[in-house]
Amino acid sequence: MSDLRWVGLAAMALCGAALAAWRRTRRQLTRLQRRLESSAMELQRLQMAFARFAPAQVVDRIAASGVATDAEKRDVTILFADLVGFTVLGEQLDPAVLVTVLNGHFERMSRVVEQHRGHVSKFIGDNLLALFGALDLNPWQANDAVHAALAMHAELEDYNRELAARGLPQLRVGIGIHRGVAVAGIIGSRELVEFTVIGGAVNLAARVERLTRVHDAGILVTRAVRDGLDPRFVLREMPAVPVRGIADRVVTFAVDGFRE
Amino acid sequence: MTTVSDIEWESCLLQPAHNPELEHFVRKTLGVTPPVTKYFLLSPWIVRSMVTWDVGQLGLRHVNLELARLVGLVVSQDNSCRYCYAASRALLKIVGYSEGRIRQLEQDLLTTELSTPIKEALEYTRRVSRASPLPSRGDAKRLREIGHSDEMIKELTFLAAVHVYYNRLATLPAVPTDTMERLDQGWMLRLLRPVLAWMMRSKTRDPGPLSPELRSGPYGYLVDAFAGLPIATCIGQAMHEAWQSPVLPRRAKALVFAVIARALGCSLSEHEAVRLLAEQGLAPAVIGDILAHLASPTLDAAEAVIVPFARETIWYRPVQIQRRARAVSSHLSPEQFVELTGIAALANAVCRMSVVLAPQ
Repeated sequence: MSDLRWVGLAAMALCGAALAAWRRTRRQLTRLQRRLESSAMELQRLQMAFARFAPAQVVDRIAASGVATDAEKRDVTILFADLVGFTVLGEQLDPAVLVTVLNGHFERMSRVVEQHRGHVSKFIGDNLLALFGALDLNPWQANDAVHAALAMHAELEDYNRELAARGLPQLRVGIGIHRGVAVAGIIGSRELVEFTVIGGAVNLAARVERLTRVHDAGILVTRAVRDGLDPRFVLREMPAVPVRGIADRVVTFAVDGFRE
Repeated sequence: MTTVSDIEWESCLLQPAHNPELEHFVRKTLGVTPPVTKYFLLSPWIVRSMVTWDVGQLGLRHVNLELARLVGLVVSQDNSCRYCYAASRALLKIVGYSEGRIRQLEQDLLTTELSTPIKEALEYTRRVSRASPLPSRGDAKRLREIGHSDEMIKELTFLAAVHVYYNRLATLPAVPTDTMERLDQGWMLRLLRPVLAWMMRSKTRDPGPLSPELRSGPYGYLVDAFAGLPIATCIGQAMHEAWQSPVLPRRAKALVFAVIARALGCSLSEHEAVRLLAEQGLAPAVIGDILAHLASPTLDAAEAVIVPFARETIWYRPVQIQRRARAVSSHLSPEQFVELTGIAALANAVCRMSVVLAPQ
């Protein structure tokens, strides 16, 4: 009888120990699950924050493959938009006001670029580099880029009205557009990366933007862009001029509008 | 990671319609009437395709139903289709997935404990759906290396295309999502799960043989590429009915197919669309002009609206495409707008299906 009692007590003790162990494991599991969920939420927050600096597709690509991903040659249309006379403006305005004015400009221009299926690759001082056809195949990239340029000018007119009402000086933008093959990819170090394009086509687009001052034109496009354009764009051929780093003189076309 | 609540969604562009005969067909075939159906009753071919392309009806031979449903979740999440996303979640719950497991799948398919063949299959369908760029046959090589047959790859490609089709059907006209989301999140689903699972059990029908008529119509070469699988007949029937429907002229439909094929770089699909446009009397130079600039003086008023819109149906944010669709709908009759939605969805699906014919 007493043996049976000992067996019963031992069984109860074992059950108790097993129950305690099960409860401990469950508590640990719950804790781990909570940590996992909180890590997932943190990751999501980081992804959302990162999405402010790079297009969602680029974020996905980096998340899936890391920084050292494939770069490839792409047919892209490159748009440079530079604020004319901004250096002088920078000397006149209080730094905080200057940054507010510049951020307002970039905010509006980025929205216009996105509405026309482009994406802003980077801001270089007061200059904006936008790409069309770099992320997804886009057979209409030249039309999109030139429509975007016209819309950027319209948007700037609107912004200038707002600046004038606040007693601030007016902005003027020069836009240069070129289409060509460039190397597109995620470029940078482990600490700082960006999705951008490199190559001669990018340099030429930057030079064409500079030519807007020479020809006193708001928007200039190269022959490569003109060849793919809808004939309803109103273009004016500009005289060929020498451009640094380019062997031949460069012919450009001023864009005066679009006939609906 | 996208969650349902992150996706902005406009109010619905369509009015529910009635067609007792068609509604009876849906109920009889699927066991339930999906809430989306009533918005497409103006276009019988769309409703019939929704039923015959239902994953449970397809008669898949090489992809099991569980994987097929996971493809639905992956593609809907990737396309940010709020309706299909909620529907996929609800379906997975009906077949026994817990909320936690679904959330885990959503957070990152690559880190969940799915087997490698399933992960690879899902990754492939995501690439087909994204089409940026359209996968080449080389993309299927990895699947072959891990033991998936060519037939299974065809079925996976078709499944991705089917969900691309459903996603556009639901997203373009902003089909209301509340019923599906209530079903997904509410207690009703937990209570009725066994009944719903029984009602929606796979009732594979024999779609019948692939008739010469289905193989020789528009995009017959694509139907032919799936020959030997029951889905070939399903594809052929939907395609045949879509092109036979008199609501939108054949020329307008071919223009939608051509624009979407050009945008996705699908030369096979574009070639077929151009052939169909030539049959309608359009000169090659005019077709070239339309495809180069999405405009031409030869387009009629409806086509001038439809052609640029077709391009928008490929990569989009739901709320943006829904606003564009609303603008387009004001130029068309309700029947025409419903059919345009179906044609744009079908053209997107066709380009994805064409992946099975991509050169080696």
